[in-house]
Amino acid sequence: MNKTIKLTLTDLQTQDSQQIVTQLPVTIGRSKSKNSVVLPHPMVSSQHAQFSHDGRVLWVEDLDSRNGTQINGRTVSGRVPILPKDDLLAGPFHIFAEVVEDSDKLLSSIPNLFQFETVVEEQINAQFPTQQSRFLTIGGGIGSFVWADTLVVSGVDPADIVALGMEKKPYGRYQRLCFNSQIPEHERLRSNSDSCPDNLWGWPGYAVREIGYESAKGRLFKAFGLAWQIFNEPYVQTYTPKAGAVFDSIDQEADRIQWDKIWQFGRVRAIRKTDHGRYAILYSGRDPETGQSESHVYYCNWLHIAIGYPGIKLLKQLQDYRDETHDFHRLVNAYEEHEHVYDQLKQHGGTVVVRGRGIVASRIIQKVHETRQRTDKPIFVVHLMRSPKTAGNRYRLGKRAVEHNWEFQPFNWPKAAWGGDLRVTLERANDDKRDALLDQWGGTTTADREDWKEIVDSGLQEGWYQIIFDNITHASADHPEIGPITLTLKNESGEDGFIRANFIIDATGLDSDINSHSLLHDLVGRYNLPLNPKGRLHVSNHFELEALAHGPSRVYASGVCTLGGPYAPVDSFLGLQYAAQRSVSHLVRNSESGVRELGGLRSLYQWTRWVRGVQP
Amino acid sequence: MTPVLIGRWQTRLFLMLTFGLLVTIPFVIAGGINPAIVLAFVTVTGFFWDVLYTFIQKFHWDHDWPASFQFGAGVWEFIILFIAAFGLGVFGPLNLFNLFFHYWAVWLTTFLASQSIMRIIFPRWRFFGGRII
Repeated sequence: MNKTIKLTLTDLQTQDSQQIVTQLPVTIGRSKSKNSVVLPHPMVSSQHAQFSHDGRVLWVEDLDSRNGTQINGRTVSGRVPILPKDDLLAGPFHIFAEVVEDSDKLLSSIPNLFQFETVVEEQINAQFPTQQSRFLTIGGGIGSFVWADTLVVSGVDPADIVALGMEKKPYGRYQRLCFNSQIPEHERLRSNSDSCPDNLWGWPGYAVREIGYESAKGRLFKAFGLAWQIFNEPYVQTYTPKAGAVFDSIDQEADRIQWDKIWQFGRVRAIRKTDHGRYAILYSGRDPETGQSESHVYYCNWLHIAIGYPGIKLLKQLQDYRDETHDFHRLVNAYEEHEHVYDQLKQHGGTVVVRGRGIVASRIIQKVHETRQRTDKPIFVVHLMRSPKTAGNRYRLGKRAVEHNWEFQPFNWPKAAWGGDLRVTLERANDDKRDALLDQWGGTTTADREDWKEIVDSGLQEGWYQIIFDNITHASADHPEIGPITLTLKNESGEDGFIRANFIIDATGLDSDINSHSLLHDLVGRYNLPLNPKGRLHVSNHFELEALAHGPSRVYASGVCTLGGPYAPVDSFLGLQYAAQRSVSHLVRNSESGVRELGGLRSLYQWTRWVRGVQP
Repeated sequence: MTPVLIGRWQTRLFLMLTFGLLVTIPFVIAGGINPAIVLAFVTVTGFFWDVLYTFIQKFHWDHDWPASFQFGAGVWEFIILFIAAFGLGVFGPLNLFNLFFHYWAVWLTTFLASQSIMRIIFPRWRFFGGRII
C-alpha cells in the first residue's frame, strides 16, 4: 500500500503556510504540469525534489535543482533519508515532511471537538496533548513581543506567558519584508526615534543612542547632526533609526525578558471558549521528542492576538495573470524576494512598471536609480498611477505637501495620531466619523526625503522615469518565460492603451483583509464578532474583543487586524506599544489577572534594570 | 512631542513644582523671596501661553511641537518676564544676571525632564498628550 505524506509548506517570505496530504511518491517543483506539489517561486526549479518511501524510511532526492535542497542547513546530494525532526528547505519554502498513518484525521483542519462555541475541556484532554498558561499571545511577532515585554516589565513571571508563532526572532518576518522591499540593515526605517519595541518608556530613543554611539566613536560632527535633526524635525529631515539598530535592540530585550522561554513554535488553528471559563487554543506544534508536527491545545485566561498581515497582495488583474501563468519572474510584489529584477536590468537593461506610491515604491525607484548608475544599459521606469494627485490631503488647518503626484508625510499617519489630540479625536468619534478621519489622515504617502525627491526630479528631466495615469485591465505574455509582459490599460476618460514591460513591480502593499487569515475568519464566523467600518475586528478603547469575554477571561488584539477602530497607527512599533499598554492597564483593573500597575517609582526602578540590562 | 492643552497644563505645573522649585531654592536662599515669585509668574502666565501654543500646533499637519519650538517658547516667555520685571517692575528690585541665570536654569532642567524622566516615571504620559492624570 502506498504511504501518505503530510507536507507543511511555509513560504518564509510571506509566512503563508499550507498543509498538503497526499500519496507518495511526490515531486515538488515550479512546473504545474510536472509536479504533484507546485511551489511557485523563481528560486525553485521546475522539478526540484522527490519524496518517496521504501516501506521503512522516508527519502528525499534532489532532482538536480538549480538552488539545491537543504536538510538542516546541509545541501542534499542524491537520495537521503529524512528523520522526523529534519527541516527541509527548497528555495524560500520551509518544508516539514512526515509520513501519516491515519490520513483522514489530518485532512480536516479543525477537529470535531472544536466545532462548538464552547468546548468541553475533559473531552479535549482525552484527545490532545494539553498545557496551560495564564497569558498567551498568538503571532509571535513584534506585536506579541511588545505585549509580553509590557507584562514582564509590569511584574508578570515570564513562565506565565506563552507566545505561539512560526519564527523564533520576533522581528523575523518584518526583517524579511524590509529586506525584500529594499530596506537592508543599514538603511533607515520609517519610524520615530522614540518608537522602541525594546523599551516601553521610549527613552533613550534610537536618536539619543545613535548620538551616544557616534560620540563614543569620536564622530562629533555626525553626533551633532543627529541632535540637530531631532531638535528641529520635521523642519529638517525627520530622524529615523537604522533597521539593524532596531533589530539588535530587540535581540537584547528578548534576552532580558527570556523570550526563548516565552516563544514556542506553533501555528494556531482555532480559538474557543471552554466550559471552565477560559480559552482553548488549538495549534499545530512540534512534538519535543520526535519533532513531528501534531495538534496541541493550550488553555489560557488572558489572550492576545497579534498575527500581523495575512500575506502579500497583488492588484487583481496582476493576480489573475499570475494565477494563469505562475510567473514569479517578470511580475513581482515588492515584498517578495526580487533581486533578479535588478540583476537582469543591470545586465540587459529594460523597462520596469512600478505600481504604488508609498514608501516601498520610493525605495524601489531608488534601487532602480542605483542600478542605472552601475550599468550603461538603458533602463526605464514607467510609474503607473490610477489618477493624478495634485493637492495634498487637508485636515482642519493642516495640509500635506505634494510633488510630482507623490504625497508626503513623515510617518504613515500624522504624528498626533499616536499620542496627541488626533488620538483623542479618533477615540471619541463614532464609527462613521472614524472611517472618514482615517481616510483623511491616512492614504498612501511617502517620506519627504531629499534624495528621493532628487531622483524623481532628475528622472523626469532625463526621461528615464515617467508617470502615466491608467488602470490595468489585463496582463498577458507572448511567451511563458521570456520576453515582455503586455499590460492593457484604460485611463480615466475611458481610452485604451497598452504598455510592454520587462518587469512589473507591484508596490501596493500587504493584504490586511481578516478573511484572508483562516484563524480570524473562523473566529469571526464562529462567534459572530462585530467588525469595524474598515471591516477589521471591532475592539474597545483597551483593544479588547468584548464579544469574547468569558467569565473573568479576556481577549485582546493589536496590529493591523484592528485598523478602523479607536486608534489609527495600529501597525507601527509605537502603536503596538500603545495597544499593549492599554490592554495591560485593562488587566490591572481586572483583579483576577494579578497584573500590577506600572508607574512612578516602580517604573523608574524597572527602567534602571533595563539600563543595566538585568532581568525585570 | 504632541501635547494636548490639558497635558501641557499638568506637565507645566508638575515640572515647576518639582524641578522648577528645586532649582529655585538656592536662588531664594541667596536673594530672598523674589525668585519664587518669578517662578509662580512664569507658571501662571504659561497657562495662558499654552492655549496659544496648542493653537499654533494645529497649523502643522502632524500637530507636532518640535523641540526647537519649545526653545522658541522659552525665549518668548523670557522676553515677557523681562518686560514684567524691568518695564513694569512687577517683582520689585531684581538683578538682570540673576533673573537670566535663574530663568534659564529652570527652563533647561524642566526641558530635559520633559524629554526623559517624565516618560520614565509616567509610562503613559507620552501617549496621553502629556497628561499625568
